[in-house]
Amino acid sequence: MRHGKYPFIVGFLAAPVAIYVTFVIAPYAQAFYVAMTSWRGVDANPSFVGLQNFERLLQDDVFWTALRHHGVLLLAMPLITIVLALFFAFMLNVGGGGRGGAMTGVWGSKFYRVVFFFPQILAVVIVAVIFGRVYAPDESGLLNATLGAVGLEPLLFMADPGIALWCVIAVLVWQAVGFYVVLFSAGMASIPKDIYEAATIDGANRVNMFFRVTLPLLWDTLQVAWVYLGIAAFDAFALVWVLSVDRGGPDRATTVLGVEIYRNAFEYSQFGYASAMGVALFFLTITFAALTLRVSRRETIEL
Amino acid sequence: MTTEIAPSAPAAPVAASKKARVPGGTARDVRLLSGLGHLALLVWAIVVIAPLLWIVLGSFKTNTEIFLGGAFSLPASISPDTYIQAWNEANVGRYFLNSLLVVSLSTTGTMLFGAMAAYVLARYSFPGNRAIYYMFVSGLAFPVFLALVPLFLVVNNLGLLNTYTGLILVYIAYSLPFTVFFLAAFFKTLPQSVAEAAMLDGASHTRLFFRIMMPMARPALVSITIFNIIGQWNQYLLPVALMQGENADQKWVLTQGIANINTSAGYQAEWGALFAAVTLSVLPMIVVYAFFQRQIQQGLTAGAVK
Amino acid sequence: MSVTPDSTSDLSRRSLLQRAAAAGLLATPAAGLLAGCVSGGGDSGPKAEGEKSADNPLGVKEDAELEIVIFNGGLGSKYATDVHIPSYKKKFPKANVKFSETQEVGTVLQPRFTSNTPPDMVNNAGSKLMDQGALVQAGQVQDLTELFEAESLDQPGMKVKDTLIPGTIAQGTFNDKPYVLNYAFTVFGLWYDAALFEKNGWTAPKTWAEFTALCDKIKAAGITPYSYAGANAAYYQYLVMLTSAAKIGGPDVLKNIDNLEDGAWQADAVKQAAEAWAEIGAKYGNKAHLGLKHTEVQLQHNQGKVAFYPSGSWLENEQAKDTPPGFKYAVMPTPSVTGADKLPQTAVYAAAGEMYFVAAKGKNPRGGMEYLRHMLSKEGAKGFTQLTKVLTVVKGAVDGLEISPGLTSSNAMLTAAGSDYFAYRFDTWYKKLDDEARSATNELMFRGGTAQKFCDRMQKAADAVKKDSSIEKFKR
Repeated sequence: MRHGKYPFIVGFLAAPVAIYVTFVIAPYAQAFYVAMTSWRGVDANPSFVGLQNFERLLQDDVFWTALRHHGVLLLAMPLITIVLALFFAFMLNVGGGGRGGAMTGVWGSKFYRVVFFFPQILAVVIVAVIFGRVYAPDESGLLNATLGAVGLEPLLFMADPGIALWCVIAVLVWQAVGFYVVLFSAGMASIPKDIYEAATIDGANRVNMFFRVTLPLLWDTLQVAWVYLGIAAFDAFALVWVLSVDRGGPDRATTVLGVEIYRNAFEYSQFGYASAMGVALFFLTITFAALTLRVSRRETIEL
Repeated sequence: MTTEIAPSAPAAPVAASKKARVPGGTARDVRLLSGLGHLALLVWAIVVIAPLLWIVLGSFKTNTEIFLGGAFSLPASISPDTYIQAWNEANVGRYFLNSLLVVSLSTTGTMLFGAMAAYVLARYSFPGNRAIYYMFVSGLAFPVFLALVPLFLVVNNLGLLNTYTGLILVYIAYSLPFTVFFLAAFFKTLPQSVAEAAMLDGASHTRLFFRIMMPMARPALVSITIFNIIGQWNQYLLPVALMQGENADQKWVLTQGIANINTSAGYQAEWGALFAAVTLSVLPMIVVYAFFQRQIQQGLTAGAVK
Repeated sequence: MSVTPDSTSDLSRRSLLQRAAAAGLLATPAAGLLAGCVSGGGDSGPKAEGEKSADNPLGVKEDAELEIVIFNGGLGSKYATDVHIPSYKKKFPKANVKFSETQEVGTVLQPRFTSNTPPDMVNNAGSKLMDQGALVQAGQVQDLTELFEAESLDQPGMKVKDTLIPGTIAQGTFNDKPYVLNYAFTVFGLWYDAALFEKNGWTAPKTWAEFTALCDKIKAAGITPYSYAGANAAYYQYLVMLTSAAKIGGPDVLKNIDNLEDGAWQADAVKQAAEAWAEIGAKYGNKAHLGLKHTEVQLQHNQGKVAFYPSGSWLENEQAKDTPPGFKYAVMPTPSVTGADKLPQTAVYAAAGEMYFVAAKGKNPRGGMEYLRHMLSKEGAKGFTQLTKVLTVVKGAVDGLEISPGLTSSNAMLTAAGSDYFAYRFDTWYKKLDDEARSATNELMFRGGTAQKFCDRMQKAADAVKKDSSIEKFKR
């Protein structure tokens, strides 16, 4: 076993680590350095300003607004997605009731699964282009035309700061639900049939079954989902950038850190400041990941 | 979108309760759930499909029809003009092939290198193991566009700017964190006994990896491959930054092509052609998905359960 | 540390500081290395230079390659490939002109400037343009004095600077040096359909009372009297609003804003203008248009659903494809807000726009300047206007050219304005203020904001820019 271990380890790690260090670590390390300069992106010799950018960050209202939006995204998006996906997955797998001893999905469940998953494979750019029209604030938009058809006043959607962020969340959910339906379906399919049979014999109905059997046994999968969705919540940049009014508007109502980083870097040429935001985002994401992993580990032990 | 389900829900109990023969609250609840469930599934299916169909409808319309005609009205005439325009001027076909080439190579590379690194990190203890592992995983947390300018310089200095080689290497590098994170967790769960038996039989580490561990990890590999294909297919920021220079527009990937028409729609207002381009780029995805949806779902199944 | 205040201690303190700085660098060994990476390739190497002569006043090396990048937006890029590049190549047949176009100027070019390998001539425009002020500050932009002093390409005996509309060079001047050529000459106003107005017996209003009275009539006719696109074109609106402010208080109002003077945004003239326009937004606008892009509102304008639309003189060309046959573009200056406005109602916002600059650290800055000289030739300018229907800063270049109704109307407006035209610069100098003005304007016009809030908000943003030492300040 020992023989040839180190040459093997080095041989296997060399290429991936080299690629990774060259294209990921080195640029990011530079970004950390840039965060402590007043680099404007076009001058060759940035001047070092220490932690000044971070001090400014703490007083920047826009930064806090963006952070708040991440908070909303981080709570609402995974929650809505998981609840919907769980419900659909349950209907598709167990919703049809017991037939010949086995639990089956509702009629047409195969079709639903295929359809629900589809948005997942669309590029975010394409999704944003599509929803730009779906959300059009007048009756040329799909949603407002539908509202108009049933006699309701048009909504402004992306132009209404009160609901714009929720419209963004809705698109994220729209795209994500199908994936988690499939994910949870897989989890449910792995639950042994006899547990359901036993539960049926004990007189459990489907509601009971969901909360007593399915949910506890799916706990691990749910945590996986939460981590995936959490990462997605920190990466709403592309969608917000293309879909929102005035890029992150109206009046920063939909802005996220990614948008502000991009704006500060490529529009205001304040790369130092933008990098400081990026560093802050980095630590936030790390903290989120660490917390989630810790929580999930404890849960696993408890089970 | 999500709220649409709630308002439509009250209609369901009427239909559901008619069938409710079993007395008692719980039984009725079950019927109710079933009825609501069916309706919810149907509504969500419509919510998913409608925007896509509506875009197809829009692709046959003129600007005036799109913005000032009824949203559901049919176009005055069905002509393939917008599609011809999208194909010729927007080069949708070429960009599609470019994307295909780049993503197939970069995904292959990601899987090979990712699996190698994850395997070693998961199953061999050596000094620096944790450090390298966390170095990879920390990449999950960093916003890509922050590294954009330094990354450009790195790629430029290597002479890989505006080359597929450069783009593919960068795709691989940026896919490694999740791939390593995911596969390392999976390799850890593979039984030690099999590895030990193989080693006793005199298999080398390399042979053990390719002949025994890789096949055993197949479900996880399939699953993460699909992840990477989708992720790399959708990548936009990296190609925009790296595929530039002379004749770069010949080498663009699909997302760049679409975004390019979207931007020019802002300037010249060719919305019909934009929708046609969107339709053209989505169609092959539908076809591929229709054929492989079982594999895709099975891959995810295996990946998710463990 | 206890040091007596004499010269030696002063010296030692300085060296101490230097040592501390060095120690700081040593403590983070990567920093120096990384700084090297950030700065990229260092100096860009020798510049192509040729013999200066009467025929070649800028001393272009005849066979040096020239790389130009054109923004492919509303103006397209045909004017470069069909007019200016052939003109350059005719003069220097041995030179290879490398041409590329992009819609994301900043994304594509920023890294090239960082690595000191920029293209020679850049058309810096579009929604993703680079911060021109930052480029100048970084020494990336060639001083164009030599170009403007050189002889015109096809108007012998005249220097380039004498062939231009007054104010052109000033528009591209940063702290007393001309760095940027603003090539297209644009005049701004409120656009309407002359045919629609004629049919209804409406006439272009001159006072604010006439304006609102007409808006009432238009509203009664079921048409949205006034609108602009909030999603991406709010600057059209703050432009006409600041035009009103300049008319009320004189052009110095704008100058104070540009120079970041204390309280410039809270001046009475700005407040009055904001108040007047806020009323238009609240009473005669359409809230849904906050969510629309400019092309969408312009389409509604074409279809007679919007009466007045603020825009620049490129509008007619931009909408050429979607304009119905009966539609007749016409433009008017913003009506006078008060009876005591400092400038006449005919005064307009007009400016040279669309930035072109030469990279100072490129391989062929002389060729870049020469290229601009070709753009500024009478033929070059004429070709540009023919292809884009947009006037240039070259005087009299379109004499004898057939022009469209919209262009005729804007020409007439410009003529009527005489010397009463003005422009501001803060939007290009301080991109951050531009963004803030867009948001603040949308709030004012669509979301029930007040003039006071608008002024305070803008003042706060301007003060923040003024206080920020990392942003270079400009004066005019």
